[in-house]
Formats: sequence, structure tokens, C-alpha cells
Amino acid sequence: MKKTWLLGLVVLHSFLSEAKTYVVNPKGQLKSIQTAISLAHDGDTVRVMAGHYREGNYIIKKSIVLLGENLPVLDAENKYEIFTIVANDVSVIGFRMINTGKASINDISAVNAIQTKRLRVANNQMENTFFGIHLANSTASLIENNTFHSDAEAEHLAGNGIHAWKCDSITIRNNTIRGHRDGIYFEFVTHSHVENNYSHHNMRYGLHFMFSHHDSYVKNTFHNNGAGVAVMYTQDVTMIGNRFEDNWGASSYGLLLKDIRDSHIEGNHFLRNTVGVYMEGSSRCRMEKNVFKDNGWAVKIQANCDENSFQRNSFLSNTFDMATNGSLVLNTVDYNYWDNYQGYDLDKDGIGDVPFHPVSLYSMVVEKMPSSIMLWRSFLVYLLDRSEKVVPSITPESLKDNHPVMKNYDYHF
Amino acid sequence: MKYLLFVLFGIVTLSCSTEPEPLKYGTDVCHFCKMTLMDNKFGAELVTRKGRIYKFDDMRCFLNYYNSGNEATSDFQHALVIDYLNPGNFLNAYDAFYLKSSAIHSPMDGQVAAFQSKQHMMPLKKEWGAIYLAWGEVVTQYK
Repeated sequence: MKKTWLLGLVVLHSFLSEAKTYVVNPKGQLKSIQTAISLAHDGDTVRVMAGHYREGNYIIKKSIVLLGENLPVLDAENKYEIFTIVANDVSVIGFRMINTGKASINDISAVNAIQTKRLRVANNQMENTFFGIHLANSTASLIENNTFHSDAEAEHLAGNGIHAWKCDSITIRNNTIRGHRDGIYFEFVTHSHVENNYSHHNMRYGLHFMFSHHDSYVKNTFHNNGAGVAVMYTQDVTMIGNRFEDNWGASSYGLLLKDIRDSHIEGNHFLRNTVGVYMEGSSRCRMEKNVFKDNGWAVKIQANCDENSFQRNSFLSNTFDMATNGSLVLNTVDYNYWDNYQGYDLDKDGIGDVPFHPVSLYSMVVEKMPSSIMLWRSFLVYLLDRSEKVVPSITPESLKDNHPVMKNYDYHF
Repeated sequence: MKYLLFVLFGIVTLSCSTEPEPLKYGTDVCHFCKMTLMDNKFGAELVTRKGRIYKFDDMRCFLNYYNSGNEATSDFQHALVIDYLNPGNFLNAYDAFYLKSSAIHSPMDGQVAAFQSKQHMMPLKKEWGAIYLAWGEVVTQYK
């Protein structure tokens, strides 16, 4: 009974407000997207045919669908913001947005959403925009299948690719972001999901989380960004199946964890970074089944981290497996595979008979005196490391893997 | 020999320099939060009497370190903040004028911007609905 009543209401509603479609075509009667937007009502669609449109800033105050056919170009002529969206239930699909204005005080964007709900931005190309998509105080929105590219030379001339501030329940998936300040930036964003994006050659971070709780990012690739990914001042973040690759530089790392709590980091690849994971002031994070390969330092863990666990990870051909800056260690390291392990497994249970100490004496020296890295691989250093292994004196005795596995886990994801 | 002495002397004095160093945005890292400096409207620097330089991306990090007790505040030769209206340029932190407002989006959400003078600050104070702070007040903001 309730169902038919509801159905009747839906039918009645669709009779009362029949959704219209306005077709904008450079060769047709309706040539201006601005005009089409002003004619449209809630629920209508504006279909835009291919062409080059220079109409400044579009302010969307109605719940409409903007649908581009064959990527119509919206050119902001280096002056304007393109879409400013202040209504709920707006969709922006299939446009090529180019040349937004650049300002250091206002965050000019291709799509700027302020206090909206259920926004959808899909299948667009953003080229040479200051900010790509800027969401403020918005909820339940979807951003998918877009590409973002910025050519900015100086960092203050590049905004973030996707920037979310005080948002909730945002999904960001299948986007490619290149050349921005941060690829994806979250500040005060909760319950959001970032999946399968490719963020590369951005000036600062591929992904940047600040004060953003209960979020997850899964199966993304972060390649050759200024300094990888930063997750800061945040709790309950899930990071699964991501790739952190080729972040080289004096202060560069694959993943920076600063003041993180209760997070889960599993099945990620850290390849060819100066530092794979840098951890500071973090507690209760689980690092499991990750692969650390060809890094300068696989993991740098500061002494102010506690109750973190590193289990069942693979450490392969890293210069240093772990480094720390103190002697007190309150973290668990267990059941990992270390290719630097030289012990035997006489009882053949697959687990080395003596514990492995992943922190070498020399990594402690380098931590105190970075320039001493010059002597790395010299005979003297080899001797020092060897004697330290026999009689540990400087390296933290408690930071050890009691069950180093003998065979590489060989994770493939 | 004389020249060699001169060169040596030069190196010695250079290495003891307590002059501030400009912030290199895009390269330098905040000493406190480890973030790469990016936004040249914000930033700060501390130079100790021994010539050690600490760079910061935000007033929040700067003052958290300043008040951390790692070093006595009397050991800082220079305390400098970036002029909001003159990006990348330093002001003496003790003499600067500060505005605090949630409309100020700084890298670490410190919500504080620094200005050279009251005249420069006033128009933005109105626009942001900000409150004015002097050094003595701003220094206790993040405690």
C-alpha cells in the first residue's frame, strides 16, 4: 500500500515538472551555455555540443545536469573560474576546461563547489587550471574519470588537483592528476574514499591528508611526486594496495606518517624512494604485508612512535632496512622477510633461528651525521657493522625481528 | 700563505654566520611538521646564536617549536615571519602585526597571518572579520 502511494507521488511529480533538455550548439539557435543555464529549472539538462566556448564564469544555482558531447572546450582565458556550484544535485560531465585564472589569494578552480550535496563531476579534462576541483563544506559527492594537468613552473602558481576542505562522504576514483601542487588534498574531510587514481609529477605530494579521519585510500599509484604521500594529524585511515614509487630527494619519502593513530597500512608497494615510510609521533598503526624494495631507507621510525606493528612485510634490496633516532623502542617487528638476514634455519621451520636486527650501526651514525653517508660501503663501515652485530652496543637491542622468515613472501597484488 | 689564511678565515667566519636564509618554497621542509614549504604568504624562520636555522611553514609550527623548550627562547638570534602582503619576505616576528581568522587558510591551519604595519593589515581585518594580535598574544595562541 505504501509502495503504490509512493509510486503515485513519483508519477504525479514527473507530470508536474517534466524535465527539459536544452541543447547548446555553436551552429544552432541556442549558442550560449550561460543562456541555457538561465533558462533551465531544477532537474533539467543542458546538453553542450562540441565547440569552443568563452563565456567566463558559470554560476550554477539550480539542480541541473551539464552534459558535454565530444568534449566541448570551456576556455576561461586565464581570467575566470569556470563553474561555481552552489546548488545540490548538480552534475558536470564530459567537458574540457582550460586556462582558469591564477591568483594566490583566491583559490580559482575549474569546478568550485561550495556547500553542495550530491555533486557529480565525471569524464572531464582539466588543462592548465589553478585548482582543478575545489570542494568546500560539501557532502556525498563523486569525482570520477577526470584528468588534471597543470604546467605551472612555480609552486605558488599551481593549486591542488582535487582539493577538499571540510567535506564528508566524498568518493574520488579513476582520476589522473599531474603537475599540480598536491595531487589530492584533504583537510578536515571525513568518511571519504580515494580509489584507483594515478597521481604523478606533482610538485609537493601525490596525496595529502590533514586532520581527516575515517578515510580510506586504495589501489592508487603515486609516482615521482615531490615528496610522495603525507598523512598527518589524522586517525583511522586505511591504506591498502597503493604503490609509492620514485620519490627521490633530501627530504623525500614514499609515505610520511606524522601524528597518525589507529591506522591500517596493508599490501602496499614502496619502490625506489629515498625513504619508504617516515614515521613520527604515530601510534597504533598496523603495517602488514607491504613490500619495500630498492629504497634508501625502507622505514625511518622516530623514537616518539609507539605500539605500531610491522608484520609479514618483505624488505628487499634496501640500503638501510630501518633507522631510528633513539634507543627506546615500543614497536613490534615480527615475521618479516629481510634479504639482509644472514642467519640459519637449522630446525627447518621456515623461521630463522636467531633474531634479526634491522637497524644497523651505520644507519644510527648517518642519522646523527648525514654527511657520513660518504663512507658507506667502505671496509671500515663493514667492520663496524659486523662488530656491532656480534656485540650490540649502540643500536637499540629491543628493535628486532624475533621470527625473521627465511623465504620471501613474494606478494603480488 | 697569506692568501690561504684569508681563505681559511673566510670559511671560519662563514660557517659561524647567524644571518637568516631566505625560505626556498618547493624545496625547504618545515622543521616541525616535515611538510614541504609551498605557500609563500606563510612561513617563519628561527636562527640560533650558533647559526642553526629552523624553517617553518606556518605560525602554528613556528610557535609550537618556539615554545617547545628544546631551546631557550633567549638562544634565538632571529625570529622571523613571512609578510602576508609581501610573499617570501621576512618581518621581525616581535614587531609584526598579526591577524587571526578562520578565513585564513594557512598550510597547517594556524589561522594567523603576519603584516608589516597596521595600515597594511586593516583592510584584510575587515574582510576576514579577523582579530588583531600583537606578538605577546600570538605567542600563546597554540598552547
